[in-house]
Amino acid sequence: MNLDFSQIVPYIPFILEGIWVTLQFVLVSILLGFLLGTVLALFKISNIKLLKWPADFYTSIFRGTPLILQLAIIYLATPQLTGYDISPFLSAVLAFGLNSSAYVSEIIRAGISAVDRGQTEAAIALGIPYRPMMKDIILPQAMKNILPALMNEFITLTKESALVSTIGYVDLMRRAQITSSRLYSYFEPLMFVAIIYWLMVMVLTLLGGWVERRMKESD
Amino acid sequence: MIKVDKLFKQFGNNEVLTDISIEINKGEVVSIIGPSGSGKSTFLRCINLLEKPTSGTVSVADQVMTAPKTNVTKAREKIGMVFQHFHLFPHLTVLENLTYAPMKVRGLKKAEANEKGLQLLERVGLADKEKAYPSSLSGGQKQRVAIARALAMEPDLMLFDEPTSALDPEMVKEVLDVMKDLAHTGMTMLVVTHEMGFAREVADRVLFLDEGRLVETGEPNAFFTDPQTERAKDFLAKIL
Repeated sequence: MNLDFSQIVPYIPFILEGIWVTLQFVLVSILLGFLLGTVLALFKISNIKLLKWPADFYTSIFRGTPLILQLAIIYLATPQLTGYDISPFLSAVLAFGLNSSAYVSEIIRAGISAVDRGQTEAAIALGIPYRPMMKDIILPQAMKNILPALMNEFITLTKESALVSTIGYVDLMRRAQITSSRLYSYFEPLMFVAIIYWLMVMVLTLLGGWVERRMKESD
Repeated sequence: MIKVDKLFKQFGNNEVLTDISIEINKGEVVSIIGPSGSGKSTFLRCINLLEKPTSGTVSVADQVMTAPKTNVTKAREKIGMVFQHFHLFPHLTVLENLTYAPMKVRGLKKAEANEKGLQLLERVGLADKEKAYPSSLSGGQKQRVAIARALAMEPDLMLFDEPTSALDPEMVKEVLDVMKDLAHTGMTMLVVTHEMGFAREVADRVLFLDEGRLVETGEPNAFFTDPQTERAKDFLAKIL
């Protein structure tokens, strides 16, 4: 064994910069996934078949194929099909956001169905229209129930973000690989980013716990 | 105030309401009684179209609720409803439960809605609970808040769907007292209830439903002491 963690010291700033590079697209992806997922969930519970079927089909496609394949199609096939030279960042955001929205929509759909039917009836009886009823009465209650599942999805997305290293996006993972190849030494840089990923997930976990406690105030 | 004409309601092949016609006047307090499964709640829910009648017409305050052109959401603003299981919004405080719909639906300013909400809480004896969340209230308190929430929309008509059936016995009175007070203000009320005392004391008229049919209607004293139909006699013999 010839472990030498000191050899990565010159590369630490380079690797640390990757935190922001990773976070940047992870945050945008989470946001896109969440917003689109909410819309898809509302489509799924709708009585209008023209909304329901496409939403179900969408979910089936994005859950039924590997994420790395979706990423490759968006990054590599978009220029071929449209001539548009898509950037790694945009590809990553689209692949992760669209993929995540499929999972998020299922979580939110389940959350909405779990809200007591009486809540809807009480709102209807008060003459509250559909949109404010969903936004102010039903979704806040659904969110509270599904927060752990949603947090889980965000954590998964954060970790899986390392896949973007395959399309030349210089994220944390890619920076560890670059450092490895410079040093001809793998363990130290990989271990270093492993710890960074773990810390990022820990922060997310703590944040989730905090939000959960705040939402429990009404119990 | 309410006019129901030849109302039928089916769930699948199961007919729960059969040919019900009745008129209810402004300011009248009407108790709907009958065995469980007789269609009492369904009848009540057909008034504000929480259940859509299979056929027949329902009019409230000269507006035909069952007409396709009617804006039912708008019409419901004037029809308050109180449920057996309260259905307060658990993520809102007591006062927010009262002010949300008036602000969102009727466009009241926050200060105005709050003032009105506090007055109503005072009226149902819960002025000190404005900042509490529903989960911290007893059943009787929840139901009183639910009544206040419905009243905050200034309805012309109040529907009560077994408002005391989910309560512990010692809490029934506080809710009935609020309802009695409300009846004395001249509110038009339709009350599905198992509380025969309330039906007898407060109601102007009793509707007796059995197997989806309106079997007998009458003034409470006459109905309870001298029911005209066999089925009403049977029913009263069992419960009184």
